[in-house]
Amino acid sequence: MIRFRQGRWSIACVCMVLGFMVAVQLRTTADMKGSVSYQRIEEITARLLNTEQERDGLKEELSALRKQKASEAGGSISEDIRLRAGLTPVEGEGIIVKLEDSSATAKAGENPNLYLIHDDDLLKVINELRAAGAEAISINGQRLIGTSEIRCAGPTLSVNNVRSAPPFEIRAIGDSKSLESAIRMRGGVAETLKVWGIQLEVSTSSSVYVPAYKGSTSHTYAHETEEKEGESK
Amino acid sequence: MILPILGLVAGFAIGYVFPVVIPLAYAKLFSVALLASLDSVFGGLRAALGGHFDNTVFISGFFTNALLAAFLVFVGDRLGIDLYYVALLTFGFRIFKNLAILRRHLLKKHGLERPHLPDE
Repeated sequence: MIRFRQGRWSIACVCMVLGFMVAVQLRTTADMKGSVSYQRIEEITARLLNTEQERDGLKEELSALRKQKASEAGGSISEDIRLRAGLTPVEGEGIIVKLEDSSATAKAGENPNLYLIHDDDLLKVINELRAAGAEAISINGQRLIGTSEIRCAGPTLSVNNVRSAPPFEIRAIGDSKSLESAIRMRGGVAETLKVWGIQLEVSTSSSVYVPAYKGSTSHTYAHETEEKEGESK
Repeated sequence: MILPILGLVAGFAIGYVFPVVIPLAYAKLFSVALLASLDSVFGGLRAALGGHFDNTVFISGFFTNALLAAFLVFVGDRLGIDLYYVALLTFGFRIFKNLAILRRHLLKKHGLERPHLPDE
């Protein structure tokens, strides 16, 4: 058919390069088709938001129905338990702690992370408040209950699996004087955080509103059981 | 003829096995380079059929065409001129022209072409 008199090997090399390029191009195109487009992401995000709203609405309806049922049954014990569990919004004497990232800029060579609020800073504040007898605590509208977490989530914090960014507002109901002094204690949380310029503002109030826990309270793994003597230690 | 085809198959296999993926930003450049090299190969085939194939011209053309095409598209991108389409048109046009010439060469060689008939 076609005969090349000269340079057969170099032509083979060129053909090899061509084959390589074709293969790479084929795979790149296949990859591009496989990835999700921005439009699709936006669409799905919108749908997720819608579903979340629907879920919240249903949850509210559910809690309203439960409340109705509880009031019909007239169980004062169950109401008390619900209050303890954080399922009802509460109000009372307490303090509001506002935390904001440091306004100071990090000097050259210094770690800017030191000037930001971290999950452990909040944990320390919460721990102090609990030690001082806080009865109900919320962070940025998220009620803290037995299973609540306070966790670093990139530049934000996650509480009850809901993310929020600074400034943080911690509301605590309890004896406002002891709560305030627990925060302002010498060598305590406020002083440590002030070293890094983190703005901490404490205000007491005779009526602090703490919202109810809005997440799910179902238990999948834990079952109620009899008390066992040997394993209680 | 067998050696170039073997090379093509080998290159294809290497490209398929090796995990090389062109980043999205350079996919355009790469496709233009590929088109340029395809054009060079068809041009080489046509030259070989015509009996005036020159190895040096072919190989230098293959690489410089691919690199130059990619470079031009890159510069065009920077300047806001869509040289991408220009390259696509030019190389596409040339590939079709070369293919037509190839076909007529082959037909003539096998004595299938009727004489004095205009191009279809």
